[in-house]
This record gives sequence, structure tokens and C-alpha cells, in this order.
Amino acid sequence: MQVIKAPRILFFLLIAVLLLIGLVGCGGQTDQPTAEQPADTGESAQAEPPAAPEMAKSSAVIIIPQDPLGFNGLVADTGYEAMVGELVLLAVSEIDPNGNVYPELAAEIPTLENGGVAFDEENWTMDVTWKLRDDVFWADGEQVTVDDVIFTWNAITDPEMGIWVDGVDYTDSLEKIDDFTFVVHYNTVYTSYQTQFGGENFNVYPEHYCDASQGFTAWDCNRAPLSDGPYILDEWVTGDHMSFSANENYFEAGKPGIDTLIVQIVPEQSVRKAMMAEGDADLNMWLSEAEAKELSELSNVYVSFSPTERWVFRLIPNLVERGTVDPAGPPHPVLGDVRVRQAIRMAVDVDTITNSVFLGYPKPVWTEFFRPPYVCDVPRPVFDVAGAKSLLEGAGWTDTDGDGVRECHGCTTAEEGNLMEIELMTYGEYGEELELAHQLIGEMLGEIGIKVELSVIEGAVLWADYESGGLEQTGDFDLNLYDDGYPGIDPTDNQLWYYYYTAAAEPDYGWNVGRWSNADFDALLDEAYTLDEDYRKELFCQMADIMDAELPQILLWSAIGADAFSNRLEGGQSTTNDLPTWNVADWTINE
Amino acid sequence: MLNYIIRRLLQAVPMLFLLSLILFVLINIVPGGPLAGYGRTRRINEEKIEQLKRQFGLDKPLPVQYVVWLVGNDWMHIDADGDGVAESYGERKGILRGDFGFSFRSRKPVLEEISDRLGNTIYLMGITLLVVALIAIPIGVISAIKQYSWFDLVATTLSFMGQAIPEFWLGLVLLLIFYVRLNNPITGDSLLPSGGMYTLGADFSVWDWAEHLILPVTMGMVGWVAWYSRFLRSSMLETIHQDYIRTARAKGQKERIVMVKHALKNALIPLVTLFALDFPYIFTGSIYVELIFSWPGMGRLFYDSAVHRDYPVLMGILIISACLIMVCNLAADLAYAYLDPRVRYD
Repeated sequence: MQVIKAPRILFFLLIAVLLLIGLVGCGGQTDQPTAEQPADTGESAQAEPPAAPEMAKSSAVIIIPQDPLGFNGLVADTGYEAMVGELVLLAVSEIDPNGNVYPELAAEIPTLENGGVAFDEENWTMDVTWKLRDDVFWADGEQVTVDDVIFTWNAITDPEMGIWVDGVDYTDSLEKIDDFTFVVHYNTVYTSYQTQFGGENFNVYPEHYCDASQGFTAWDCNRAPLSDGPYILDEWVTGDHMSFSANENYFEAGKPGIDTLIVQIVPEQSVRKAMMAEGDADLNMWLSEAEAKELSELSNVYVSFSPTERWVFRLIPNLVERGTVDPAGPPHPVLGDVRVRQAIRMAVDVDTITNSVFLGYPKPVWTEFFRPPYVCDVPRPVFDVAGAKSLLEGAGWTDTDGDGVRECHGCTTAEEGNLMEIELMTYGEYGEELELAHQLIGEMLGEIGIKVELSVIEGAVLWADYESGGLEQTGDFDLNLYDDGYPGIDPTDNQLWYYYYTAAAEPDYGWNVGRWSNADFDALLDEAYTLDEDYRKELFCQMADIMDAELPQILLWSAIGADAFSNRLEGGQSTTNDLPTWNVADWTINE
Repeated sequence: MLNYIIRRLLQAVPMLFLLSLILFVLINIVPGGPLAGYGRTRRINEEKIEQLKRQFGLDKPLPVQYVVWLVGNDWMHIDADGDGVAESYGERKGILRGDFGFSFRSRKPVLEEISDRLGNTIYLMGITLLVVALIAIPIGVISAIKQYSWFDLVATTLSFMGQAIPEFWLGLVLLLIFYVRLNNPITGDSLLPSGGMYTLGADFSVWDWAEHLILPVTMGMVGWVAWYSRFLRSSMLETIHQDYIRTARAKGQKERIVMVKHALKNALIPLVTLFALDFPYIFTGSIYVELIFSWPGMGRLFYDSAVHRDYPVLMGILIISACLIMVCNLAADLAYAYLDPRVRYD
């Protein structure tokens, strides 16, 4: 009988695996093309493989759960693109943790007062003149000029390969005056003009290096950038790490303070925490409340909190019949009545949730106008279960059969006898805290006689576009719970228009997914597109009163902005206005 | 035999086609979509959503998307600028001509995404499988030869535990013990690294690479060792009670020769088949191992693509996996026929 030659098979297996080790070991550290090794030109740098990152000088390790998809936060927005973008690229202006706009490539921020803004009251248009610094250079020695800013803007707004950014609809053109001066011509008053070429995701790209024909969304510059920022990308091993070295030509003398930065991909949250505890990492970004508490108890770690909040947990009620998208259509049988929404707000004990689930970190929030500089004096709603029940009774929702669930007896939005039941959705990606809060809110609404079905949905389903069946865009929901907030410091477009304006109720056109429509609010918002800051604040506070009365959204509490830094790293400061690396050039290592 | 191979390969073609169709439909009918992230964080308007859909090829009906994925669109006019006029030829060649498309997330070609990770996974899983073979075979043989001995009882208990322990939990416990709790008595650092393939910034050393393999290989092999050793034990027990073993003993051959030359060689036949069927794991990797030990491999690529609805990458991985499974199935059948003369396919 023929028998297997087992030893020979094992021998071949052994040889094969040893070959694998050799192949991977020798080739595993090959990298992506970098700015200094352009993929398309293949010049001298290609002949010289990148050196392994030097650890002898000062170095810091940033740990993140997934690869950034590039350095362009406008093309792919996991947040990590913008984080690494801050290391290598500069913007015209930026926002500090306290909400102040400061110049980066710009010499100063243009205002009406310094003559940088020319307002044409007759046509209600404006021109903004930006002056750039003349001492900033790309890593290859070319100077950063207005041509780069205009090139970037044109690439972004290209109709075929571009992408939408804030301000694009208001901008007629960019005009070059000289190498360091350009004028932006607007077709209306654009209130966020100071951060149009900056903020979290916008960076300026080099005209002489990026290949415009590849298109902004797909060009090599997104993965192999040419630096004008504090660091230069040395090596990128996909899925493993990126290493950066200090840009010796960085325009701020004596900076950056750390020689080498390594961005390491560590998918598992518990491993990231362990690495901070063991001193193997210097920055762990975007902590949850539980992580913040746990890490703040370590002696070798300090947790930095953002001085301003941005993300607010909120309930988004669907005001129209489920599955419909017309604000003028039939109302939602339960949530279409404002008294019900008011009762829901009164029934949710925000303090209990923030203290028991979020460890006391968050602050209660009840109006969109809680962030400086736009703060309105809206009285905090009271937690009052009896008051909530009374409101529901008055709205025609009573529990006549004693089963704990109210029925419609004289209500204005549902048929007689209908049960008061809704589905409360949230998204699963946030984690355990939100799911606990979700359950608590469900129980609190149950206390006042609303039957709540709890659902945890994938964010990609909840927020998908209309054609892909996104639950919010198609109106296929009752009441949603999640965190949201606007970038930058101006809520006009990014929060008020997209979330509350009537036109933004159209599917895929905005995120007024509750389909709220209020003519007075719309008129006030139209008027708020003005450069008169005092008047804007006044208008905003009038809007705050309308929103407080109608409750198109029920704001509950703010999420923390927190990052953990090792004690050896000095200068780190968390911010919700930008990424934790916003001031990376100022960081130093103190052993 | 050659006819059999040709017949099986021909049968694989319609099967792969059908499989690709089913996978394509299933992936695309899942609620949500690749533009969900753009929608919420970007507050993107309708016009730009249409633009992104055109860039991704999502503006076409699903059957057309499938045809483009399969045979490309460089032979048909497409509307690149959204003006309603199809004015230029597309650039896609389709997977039949080796073009798997580009990732919706990174905009890199799918094959480039896969090739970036494939070597790392083959390296990890290849060594894991080798270690599995080196440990499971002796355990299975000794357990069978010394049936009901203390060794057999211990091995049996441990193998049941190995099969029952959740892989994810095991990985975390290994990390807790060898990274957090235990320190190197000389350097004072953690005894073993938390993850990755090598120490960042350090010069290449075989020990460094090997050190980074210990925990992920241990996590990956435990279940397999348990399963393979039990399988081999059964196979060996069946073999050693065969007549030809008794005959070999009656001829006066030494017990070691009887066991190794006659019993083990025959008992290994089904194991080799099983091994061939598990071989595709070398390509697909283990999601849990790669997540916990920060291993930049195929498992994580698959996981990330699924979470972020990166359809082209998902389809690429699934189709290549399907091809591998079919090839390995065929290889298993052929190996069985080669090793066991009683099996004939002609």
C-alpha cells in the first residue's frame, strides 16, 4: 500500500514558511511614496530606501485605531486624515481651543476694522483680502505663495474631481493680486470667511508638486504630501505605522520641539490604554468618559480637556409621518404635537444620566447657543415627571386601560385609541455609554406612559443618503439619540441652516431630518447672514427662543473633548475646534 | 486524472460567476452605503452626492454596476460630468482583465490595498499553521498510542479547553500577562511587545521579529492545535487497529517503526486533506488576532472594508478567497487521491 511521505511534506512546509519569514522580514518595512520620494517622478530618492525612524533623538508616539486614508481631511473624514494633515501641511488660518481664529499661512486675519473686508451693502456682497506670510517654504525649497492657495481652491471646486467645502456656494472667485496677496470675491455675505481656508480639514497644497490632472480627491498628494508644516513624512507602512521627522525648514524658528513622531495603528482600545499605562505611547486621542477617568488615574499620564464643548447629545424627533419627508405633510402621530416633545424633555433626567453613565464629566446643554461667542440666556428646562404627565394629559394622551401606556383620547395628531408608542434609535459605534443612556431614556419615557422600542443602528445605515435608504434621510424613524455639533465657531451654515432651515428638509440637501418648518426662524436666519456681529447675536437669541418653544431637537448634554498625553510630552492641549495635533510644533519631550 | 482536473476547473468558472453575482448583490443590498460618512460629517449637498456617485460608479443601476465590475467600462460611453450626455469612454477594465477597481476610502487600486497586507498575513498565518502542525501532530499521536494515559487525559482536557476558549478573550489575557504584568528582568520593559510586526525604529533583528510573533501565533494556534490533535488522535486510533498494523507487529517489527512508518503515515492522510482545506486562512487571516495585536493584515483590511462599506475592496477579498477555496478544495481532493491509492477520480 502506498503511504504518505509525511516527513517530506513537513520538510517542504518548513522550507516554505522560512522563505516567507525571509521575504516578509526583508520586505516588510517598505513604504509608501512620500513627498521626498515622489511616486510619479521617481528621482533620486527612489534609489535610496527610507531609513528606519531614528529613536535616539526626542521622539513621541501617537496611537490611533485605524489608518488615516491620506492627509486630506476633505476627501476622507475619519478625523485621522486631518490629524496627520496637521503634522505636514499648513492652512491659511486656524482656530485655537478657545475659539479664537489665528493666522497660520496668513500674515493677519482680515476684518472690517483692519480693512481686509470690503462690504458692498447695496449688492449685499463682500470682498476679503488675504495677505500671506513670505517666509514659508515647501520642503523642496519652493516658496508658498498665493498660487498654491488658488490652485488648491480650484482643485477642490473642480466640477468633476472636486469635493464640496464650506463657503463654496458663496464664493465667486479668487483673484491673485501678487505672490502674497489674494482677494476672495463673494456673491453674498459669508459669515465664516475667516476659517474658509483653514479649520480642521482644509490645507493648502503645492501647485508645483500636485498633479491637478489626477483630481483633488484622488491625487498622489493626498498620500504623499510635500510638507510646509512642522514635520515631513518619512515612511508609511499601511496598517502599521507612519513616521515623521522634523522639517528643518519650518518657518517658526526653533520648532518643532520633537525630532521624530510616530503614528502607530493600534485598533484595540484596551491595548491603547495599556500602551499609555506602560509608557509606550504619548498621545491617545478622543477619549470616552470612562477612558478619561481610567487614564487620569495613571501617574504617567495626564488627560487634557478641551476648554469648549462641541458635541451635544440630543434627541431628534421626526415631526412628520414616519416614512415621509414633506414638512407640510401629515404630522407624526406622537411627536408631531409640541406638547409631547416638551413632555419628553421634562421627563429626561439629564443629571442622572451624566452622573451615572458619563461619570459626571458632561455639562447639561439645552440650546444650540451655548458656545462662545454666541451664548443666549435660555432658562434651563426642569426635570419634572409630574409636569410631563400633565402635559401629555392636556395633549389628549391618557392611559384609560391602566396598562401603563397612554392612548390617544382627543389628541390632535393620531387616531382615537392609538397607543403612544415610538421607536428610539441610537447608533452602536459610540460604545457602551451611549447604549446605557439610550436604555435609561427609554425607561424615563416609559415612566410617563410612552411605550418605547429601543433600537441600536449602524451609523452607516442611520445617516446614509436617501437613495441608499438612510433612515434619517428617508424619514424612517421616530426619535433618534446621538451626538452632533458644528465645526468652527460660526453656527450659521453648519448648524442652523443644515439642521433647522426649511429648505434643508429636502432629502440629501440638508439634515433637517425632523422636517421642522418655521417661517419666523427661516426669516431670522436669512437675516443673520450679516457682518454686524452684535445684530447676529441678537438674531441668534431670537432663534433660540423659537427653538426652545418648538423643540425641533431636544438637546441634553455635551460630550467631553479629551485626549490623554504622557507626562513626558509637554504642550499638548485638547480642543474640540481642531485636532489634538493642532499645536504639534510646540510640543516638547521632557524626560 | 488530468481530465478530472480540467473538469473541476471548468466547473469552477460558472460557480465563481454565480458566487460573484450573489456576493455583489448581497453587499449592495445591505442598508446604508459608502456615502453615509460623507453625508453626515460633510453636510454635502445633493449635487455633490451625485458627483461622488459618478466618481464611484454608483450612479448606475446595480446590474450595470456588476457588468462594469466584471468587464469594465472602457468599451462604453459614460457621463463623467453629470450633464446627462455620455461623452467619454470609462477607464475601468473589470476583474476579468485584472482590474479590481479602486477603494472608495483610500482611492487606491484594490489590488494595491490587498498586496500591501497580503504578505503580512501570509507570514503570520503560515507560521501559525506550521506551529500548529508541529504541536498538534505529536500530541495526537501520543494521545492515541497511550490512550487513556495521564498524557491523553491532560491533552484531551486541554484540547477541549482550547476549543472552548473565545479567541478574543484569550488574546486579551495573553496581553495582560505578557505585556502588562510580566517584565523583562534585565531591561525592566514588558516581557513581550503589545503588537505590531517589529519594534518601530529598531534595526532589523530576527529575535525582534520572532518576539512579535509569539503572542499572535499563540492566540491563533490554540483552537487549531486543539482541533487538529483531536482529529489526529481519532485517525490514529482507527489506524492502529487495522489488520496491517497487526501484521506488521506479527512480522516482528519494532513498535516505533510500526507506529511511525505504518500507522502515522496513514493516519496523516485525512489530516493533510484538512490542512489543505484550511489553507485559504493563510490569505484571509484572522480578524481577531490582527485587531488585538495590531497586525497589518488581510483580516483587518476585510473588517475595515466591511464597516466602511468599501464595496470594491470587499468584493476583491471575497472573490480571491473564493478562488483560493476552490483551488484548495481541488488540491485536497487531488492530494487524497495521490496519497490513498484506493481513491480514484478517473
